[in-house]
Amino acid sequence: MSVRFVSRPLDASRRRFLAGLGGVAAALALGLPTPPAQAFDPDRLRQSMQRLYGQGGLRVLEEWFALLERLRGEEISVQLREVNDFFNRRVRWVDDINNWGSEDHWATPLETMGQGQGDCEDYSIAKYVTLKQLGVPGERLRMIYVRARIGRSQITQAHMVLGYYSTPDAEPLVLDNILPSITPASQRSDLDPLFSFNSDGLWAGGSTQSRADPLARLSRWRGVIERMQSQGFT
Amino acid sequence: MSLIKQLWLAIVTVLLVSFVGSLLVSISTSRSYIEQEVRIKNEDNATALALSMSQLDKDPVTLELLIAAQFDTGYYRQIVLRDPQGEVLIERSAPSYEGDVPRWFRQLVHFDVPEGSATIQDGWRQFGTLTLASQHSFAYAALWRSMLELAAWFALAGLLSLLLAWVLVRGIKKPLDRVVTQARDIGARRFTTSEEPKTLELRQLAQAMNTLSADVHHMLSQEGEKLDALRRHLQHDRITGALNREAFMGRLTAALTSDDVRASGVMAMVRVSQLEKLNQQLGHNATDALLKALASRLESLGKQWHVPLVGRLNGSDFAVMAPAAESPELLAKELTTLLQTLAADTHPQPTESPSEHSERPRLLAAVMPYASDDERGTLLATLDDALAEAESSVHTSVVVRDREYHSLFHTHAEWREALDAALAKGPQLAFFPVVDATGQIVHYECPARLELEQAWQSAGVFLPWVTRLGIEPALDMAVVKKALAELALTPTRTLGLNLSIASITSARFVNELRALLEATPLAQNLCFEVPAALDAQAVASLRSLSHALRPLGCQLGIEHVGAEFTRLADLHDMGLAYLKVDSSLIRRLDASSEQQAIVRGMATLCHSLGIQVIAEGVTTEAELTAAFQAGADGATGPGVRELH
Repeated sequence: MSVRFVSRPLDASRRRFLAGLGGVAAALALGLPTPPAQAFDPDRLRQSMQRLYGQGGLRVLEEWFALLERLRGEEISVQLREVNDFFNRRVRWVDDINNWGSEDHWATPLETMGQGQGDCEDYSIAKYVTLKQLGVPGERLRMIYVRARIGRSQITQAHMVLGYYSTPDAEPLVLDNILPSITPASQRSDLDPLFSFNSDGLWAGGSTQSRADPLARLSRWRGVIERMQSQGFT
Repeated sequence: MSLIKQLWLAIVTVLLVSFVGSLLVSISTSRSYIEQEVRIKNEDNATALALSMSQLDKDPVTLELLIAAQFDTGYYRQIVLRDPQGEVLIERSAPSYEGDVPRWFRQLVHFDVPEGSATIQDGWRQFGTLTLASQHSFAYAALWRSMLELAAWFALAGLLSLLLAWVLVRGIKKPLDRVVTQARDIGARRFTTSEEPKTLELRQLAQAMNTLSADVHHMLSQEGEKLDALRRHLQHDRITGALNREAFMGRLTAALTSDDVRASGVMAMVRVSQLEKLNQQLGHNATDALLKALASRLESLGKQWHVPLVGRLNGSDFAVMAPAAESPELLAKELTTLLQTLAADTHPQPTESPSEHSERPRLLAAVMPYASDDERGTLLATLDDALAEAESSVHTSVVVRDREYHSLFHTHAEWREALDAALAKGPQLAFFPVVDATGQIVHYECPARLELEQAWQSAGVFLPWVTRLGIEPALDMAVVKKALAELALTPTRTLGLNLSIASITSARFVNELRALLEATPLAQNLCFEVPAALDAQAVASLRSLSHALRPLGCQLGIEHVGAEFTRLADLHDMGLAYLKVDSSLIRRLDASSEQQAIVRGMATLCHSLGIQVIAEGVTTEAELTAAFQAGADGATGPGVRELH
């Protein structure tokens, strides 16, 4: 996975990444609602999965349900590790243009699981959503834009990882798909953080939680959230 | 609620609803648009600022400068930087701009825009959270101004549409009122016609009602004609068209005993001398033509005073009654000319035997005045005697018998003076009851009495002079005033007053009468009666009188209806309350099934128009019974007076 990642032309990838940044930034402040213990509708998720990806997708979804069931109430370190492993194992890295036919498509966890492949942000989103489903407080999770150096070379790549902050001013743990094990950020000298966001503070006003919100379509981050809602995450 | 009111209400409601609706829609659209824009601005600016701060050294001065630069050059209400624990590191805020927007409007609109927030990254750690709120007070001012503009536009548009609506409603209201009036008229069995409105639905309605009225008019004309034919058959001579002897005698008696203008005048008797011989000379047809011409010319005699009455007493004798005619000499003169021209016009045919000397027909006449309470028999005998004199005389063909005429005054001037004085003093009223079938009094007929020569004289005495002097309106007005005075004493009575044709055709009289009656609630206790001898002008006057008096509650009736029933059709839209059948049709009603048929026909006809029928001149109880059996609703006359 990481090999293929490295082989991609760097400047194109970065451009694409930065282009998405504006939209993401706008959506960032909107955030995601902090989901309750089980903030999804299993039957609707199954229906969506069946409709979109058939039996193969359903199998992965059932495994995901089992994972959630198994990890509920476990220690946070276990939860982080298991979730990180789950997606790193089941999802094959692929460029968006090959996967979705468009640059920088942000997939919902369901789409990522159904496809069995995804881009770096698809990993991060899927892990983020899954951990929130397990009851991890939203403010501890942040998606971080990083500049990744591949190996010992000077070649850098635009990348995204999920950071776990035990406290707001703590050093985060990094959940990455290039390096499958979870490590403290300070040990990841190959990654250079630039900016982070999550869904906290979104709908803080409380009045704009509406699927018909015309702004949703204008922002990539909000677009994913809306698609998730239509697929059965509530 | 009236249709017009509803229409107005609908128009105003539509205007208000569209105004308030578009105002609300406009405000709420603008409001949500502004909210979205400000929200996007908050979020994007917060992110952009946080993004650039993330890339810098976290030197407090640099950060403060960055925030100050953003705050000072942009449009912000507040920018705050907090550390991860929530402690405020840097804060910039400005008061919100109030402007000239009323407080209630701010409270009504109330923008609800969340602040934008973004986290500043310092390496892997979070340095702090930036929250940012844009200045949006300007939006209140913009909204307020646009609402004022909208209101002004709507006021203008509303004014224009109200103006338009006013024209429209007026265009509907007028014809609608006409149609409603007509419908109400028809409901009250006044079959009026109305001008057809332009509005389609109203036009159809008006057309339908006009058709109905026309049908009723047609039906009435036909029925009237049938009745008239029946009456002609009964009362008129078949050859000459004049009244037959019996009918003429009846009318004469009625006139002599009547209390009106017919009670005095001049009578004439005309004889076609040696009719048998003439018949042989001229032949039947020519003789009949002569008689017919004579009868029709006699009918024009004394017409300047009153409608004359012509009757054929026997084969050769005609009688003419010219009520209110002034002097027998005048009539005699007129008659002489008439007879001469007629005789001259008649050319005897050349006979087969030349030995026989053919002559022009000899036409003779006798003239004498009559007055109320004269004996009919004496009158006719005197005239007969005078005719005999004329027959024996060679030179004169017209003899005048100016009998010792008991007249109160002798000249116009004397009469005028006396009548003026009497009117100034005021008339008295007689009260003759009109009863219905149960004996209840419907109203009182109130002929006037005037004091002349220290005695109260009946109308028959002075009315011809009142007519001649043309002071009928003055008399009628005095009578109305007297009647109102009487009613003030006994307000339960209903009084019937006579109005002359001269009065109702006088616009001044009608206006005066209306003004008088409008001032008193007693008007509804008055009935006004007009003689049946109505020409086209009088019919029109009667119609406008009816129009003027109906709202006041007065009833309107026609008296002495004895002929020309076809006229009834013209009265169908008048709203008459009753019609009095002339005594000539009532006299000996019990004995004549034909008369009964006529009265019954009239009653049916009138009832279909909501008009009551009253029999005049009832003398006996048998006549009274017969009248009610024939369908009359009331009766009056000497017989009734005796009973009450």
